[in-house]
This record gives sequence, structure tokens and C-alpha cells, in this order.
Amino acid sequence: MPEICPRCAHDTIDLLFASPVAEVWEVVRCARCQYCWRTSEPARRTERDAYPESFRMTAEAIANAPEVPSIPPSRVTP
Amino acid sequence: MPYDDLRSFLRVLDEQGQLLRVTDEVLPEPDVAAAANAVSRMGGSAPALYFDNIKGFTSARIAMNVHGSWANHALALGLPKETGTEEQIREFARRWDRFPVRPEWRDAPPWAENTMTGAEVDLFRVLPLIRLNDGDGGFYIDKAAVVSEDPDDPGNRGKQNVGIYRIQVKGPARLALQPVPMHDIALHLRKAEERGEDLPVAIAVGNDPVISIAAATPMRYDENEYELAGALRGAPAPIARAPLTGLPVPWGSEVVAEGVIEGRQREIEGPFGEFTGHYSGGRRLPVIRVDRVSYRTDPVFEHLYLGMPWTEIDYLIAANTCVPLYKQLKADFPEVRAVNATYTHGLVVIVSTAKRYGGFARAVGLRVLSTPHGLGYASTVIMVDEDVDPFNLPQVMWALSTKMNPSHDLITVPAMSVMELAPQAQPAGMVDKLIIDATTPVSPDNRGNYGNQVRDLPEAAAWLTRLQELAANR
Ligand SMILES: [Zn+2]
Repeated sequence: MPEICPRCAHDTIDLLFASPVAEVWEVVRCARCQYCWRTSEPARRTERDAYPESFRMTAEAIANAPEVPSIPPSRVTP
Repeated sequence: MPYDDLRSFLRVLDEQGQLLRVTDEVLPEPDVAAAANAVSRMGGSAPALYFDNIKGFTSARIAMNVHGSWANHALALGLPKETGTEEQIREFARRWDRFPVRPEWRDAPPWAENTMTGAEVDLFRVLPLIRLNDGDGGFYIDKAAVVSEDPDDPGNRGKQNVGIYRIQVKGPARLALQPVPMHDIALHLRKAEERGEDLPVAIAVGNDPVISIAAATPMRYDENEYELAGALRGAPAPIARAPLTGLPVPWGSEVVAEGVIEGRQREIEGPFGEFTGHYSGGRRLPVIRVDRVSYRTDPVFEHLYLGMPWTEIDYLIAANTCVPLYKQLKADFPEVRAVNATYTHGLVVIVSTAKRYGGFARAVGLRVLSTPHGLGYASTVIMVDEDVDPFNLPQVMWALSTKMNPSHDLITVPAMSVMELAPQAQPAGMVDKLIIDATTPVSPDNRGNYGNQVRDLPEAAAWLTRLQELAANR
């Protein structure tokens, strides 16, 4: 299991799936930015140091991401 | 002979030399996407790709680029694979005239063979999911037909929707879906959210090729995609009722996942390399909880690579973007001859038209902006004369070179709507639109020094045939 997220550097990574052929790869997900990857992918997609600057994501960017589509006003009267 | 499922179409692609089997072991990433990226650089007769030896999997099958060339698009419509682009679009328009053709309910769908429900649902066990581009936020399902109903009018067939939307797989039973505000599912979701409800959806993966073409067609809100599929196939589209939601889904699908878009929820999604050739995201998008999956044994995962155009998606949204625009314009203006909206789903639209009087062509150009599809696309509209073929770009460039004077032929319409993925928008969702009038002015518009246009000699057509015969018999 990887220790940090290549995209946002968060340190909680969850296991989603393991290869049907034992111990070939795992599919994992960052608990903060939800980045999902397979451990067998190239370093540019899996390792923090090699992950391109322009694809990185910060905690602020996640918190401030726009809502699409915006949630409409409710028709239901409480 | 129409295809009832993906597998029968793959067999025909194979027989026609349009299916390339990659039998060597490949890595799930980056090999499958890189091969699909590369195959789209092989041009208008590129084959589909079939992978069945993917490292770490035991029985994975992935079909890529199924619609990714004019040859494959022709075969999908039951035409000879050599059929030219314009002829395919003309034939598409002729078949549209048969719309609507009611679908037929059929028993015993092959996807009923296997089921997972509730806590046992795990899409990673059902589909060999793979990642596409380097900056993608995760694993996507980007070629599935997503079925939903209008929550204010359930059971209304016309208002049912079958569309292709980008879906991120965020967990074994958790997805994110992007409803572009101009698309029908966004209207369904809005109504459900106003009512404080979840929106039931069925997601059908791996379909007969006409279902994908119909699902990717920008139809009017009250038009049913299965009824278009029937018109395009020349036979009713076979459908079956999805067991959990009761929604009508394609009979022949490989996998049917059912669940709900959770009302009034948004969660971080993306980015994802989009059909614009740019990444979009991360944004907070609606999420889907999957409650049931039905699937054929060893399903074929039909998947689509998209990147810098042209890739498969450009073929999937070419003819079916031109034809509804053409029909809608033609209804108001019979002078319209042809519409080329094959570029980036019609962000650029080229229209050839005859003119009634000075100013007519630009008025037709303005009408493009207020068609249903134009509301979200058509950022640039190029108007050309009736003798200019809008699919012949050298002719279009000739029209731009000689028929366009920027002092009066560029009509800018400020602050218009565009789908928010358009990278040039400012802010996202808003753009100034441009009509370029590259038609020859007609009375009372007497600007320019046009005099007489040089036309092909009357004898040239016969000579063309004669020269072609001479060349063929050399
Ligand atoms: Zn992260």
C-alpha cells in the first residue's frame, strides 16, 4: 500500500480492489481528494515526487471546488 | 441486419477486418489507453481494438474504439465500410425521417445471467476498469447509456432519457456523474432535487452500436432515444425492464447497474480529459449509489479513449450532431443545404445556405445559436454559399479567403450560454459567440467587388468520369 497520495500528499489511502491474479497490483484511493489509481501504473501517476505539478491538488482547491450543477431551491415546504 | 448487442457487432467488425485483437499480455495502464490513443491516429478507417490478456486479470475483455472511424461508423449503421462521410450523414438524415419507431420489449435479457445486490455490489469485480489519461482523477465509465425518467412525469416515454455521461468510479458501489446543465438528465435531476428526492438511474455498459449513437445524439427534451435507435436500425430497438428501477434498458447490454443519484449531494470529482481536448474538474458533482448490478458472464467492457481530437468520441458525436441541427434549421429555412457540426460536438458549426435577400445568411447563422444544441455549443458559426460544401474544408477556406470582410461580416453576440466545459468561456458557461458570414452578398447588400464567380465548366463532370475511367484502366 502506498503511504501518501501522489496528487494531494494526504496520508490516508484506502484499498479498493486487489488483482484477481494474486499480488500483481492493487487499486487504491486517497481519502481526501478521492484520487484513485492502480499501483502498477507509471511513476508519473503514482509517486508524489514524479506526479506533475499541474495535476496536483491542494486541500483548498478541494474545499473550494465549484458545485456543478448547483443544487436548486427545494419545492418542499418544511 | 441490425445488431442486438455489442458481441454481434464485434463479430462483424472482425469479419470486415475492422477489429484488431491484441493477444499479447498488456498492462491495464498505460497500455490499453495508449493503444486506443494511437489507433485514432490511424485515420478514417482505423479498427476497433479487443484486449483479452491484461496483466493481473483472469477473464477481462475490453473493446476500445468500437465507433472510432468512419469505417466503423458505417458498419454500425449497416452501410458498406467504404461509405463516405457525407453519404453517411445524408443516410442518417434520411433514416431520421422514419423517427419515431417504438422499441420492442424482449424477454430473457442476457445480462440477467448474474446479479449482485446491496453490500455485495462491486463494480471492480464486474468490469476490468482502467484509467485513461495521466491527469484523470480515477477510473471512468465514459460510454455507458444512462437511463432516467422525468420525476414530474414518470412513465412519459418521450421524456425518458438515454444519454452518455462521464461517470467516475469512486468506490465499489459509488459513482460520480457529470450532468451538463444543457443535457436532459440535468433537468431530471433538478426536478428530483426540487422535490427532495433521489433520482433512480440505470447505467447500461456495452451496447449495440446504434444505442450508443442514439444516446449521444442531442435530441429534443421530449424525444425518445430508443425511438431514434429504431429509426436508425430500421427495426424496433429491443429493450427490457431493469429489475430494480423498472427503467427500460437495452436488451443486449453487457452490464446493467442500477441505483440512484443521491439528491442534493455533491462530492469532489475529476479532473478528466474531456472531448474538448482539455481536462475539466475538479468540481463537486452529483454522486450515485449503486444498489444492483446485472451482468453477462465474462462481460465485454466497451470503453472509449478521448484526448486531443480526433479520437473515438469525435466519430461518435459527428453525424448525430449534424443531423438534428440540419433538421431544425431546414424546418424554418428550406434554403439550408447542409450542416457540418462534426468539430468538437458542434462548438464550430458550418452551414451552407441559399439566400433570399441581403442579410439572410447571417440571420440563419443567428438561428443556429437558439437551437437546443446551439444553446450549449455553436460558439462559432461559419455561413457559406449553397455551392460551397461545408464538409470540404478547402472550399470553406476559399469562402473565408474571398467572401468575408471583417468590417461587416463578423457578428459578435456577447455573453451567450455555452456548456461549462468549453475552455474559452469566461466565466465558465458564458462566451461571446461569433457568426462569420462568408456568403456572397446579394441584393440589396451590394458590398464588395464580386462580379461573376468562376464556375466549373458544364462539361467538367463528364470529363471527371472519363478521366477516372482512364486512370482505372491504365
Ligand atoms: Zn489525495
